[in-house]
Amino acid sequence: METQNNIDVRERPPLSNARLAILVLLGAETMLFSGLIGAFLVFRVGNVTWPPPSHIGIELPRVVTGINTALLLISGYTMFQGWRAIQKDNVQQLRNWLLITGALGLLFLGIQGSEWVQLIRNGLTLQSGVYGGIFYVLIGCHAVHVMSAVIWLFIVLGMAMAGRFSAERYTSVDTCTIYWIFVVALWPILYVLVYLS
Amino acid sequence: MSRLFLGVTLLIVAVLIVPTYLEACPACKTLDDPIGKGFNFSILFMMAMPFVVFTVISGTVFWHYRRASKEPMD
Repeated sequence: METQNNIDVRERPPLSNARLAILVLLGAETMLFSGLIGAFLVFRVGNVTWPPPSHIGIELPRVVTGINTALLLISGYTMFQGWRAIQKDNVQQLRNWLLITGALGLLFLGIQGSEWVQLIRNGLTLQSGVYGGIFYVLIGCHAVHVMSAVIWLFIVLGMAMAGRFSAERYTSVDTCTIYWIFVVALWPILYVLVYLS
Repeated sequence: MSRLFLGVTLLIVAVLIVPTYLEACPACKTLDDPIGKGFNFSILFMMAMPFVVFTVISGTVFWHYRRASKEPMD
């Protein structure tokens, strides 16, 4: 902090602390998912037939999950639009985009949940061997991240409703957007690996 | 430019003189079964990730500071 002509001038760092913190958090998240994907690769490449013979009859819902993937990708776009809206000081648009993004996130989780219920009814459980185990751990871990992103998003939406953001002050929107985009960008990789490979 | 050329040339030479292709896991090298391949893929993937994470974080910090240094002073 410097003093020039009796006015305090705070030098803003080129990269804010909040952004740096979220980058480090995402680095840790990336390592977590790398470990899980690494475990999946051991089983997937290590098995000549996939799913293993004990799970031959169980089909993962590829088409529905494909549509769900599209919904999540759209939510990434709507989140980005919200971020752009607050940069233009348009709080009303930010609220609308956040609401749409949250609804899409909840829809994604709802469809994912109904798929899981169906799969459990078909006999694919966490205890039903390595296929079920790695499927629920990997996809479930992502679902937990989407859920936490949705909770975070609704907190940010509440703050937007309370008029806490402007074009100069939107750190919470910024960090929430980065996290959301990470969660969205991760999903197609998991979808291709788990559902299509 | 010349440094880049030198780096690429050294890399190509290094790849050419390696007598056999590298395996991530020495214990799995002798295994010719899918499990060995699975471990190899997994280890190579997980080995690469810290470098990716470090590159992305440091690249982002570098990009922000570079952009700030180019902005006109008030």
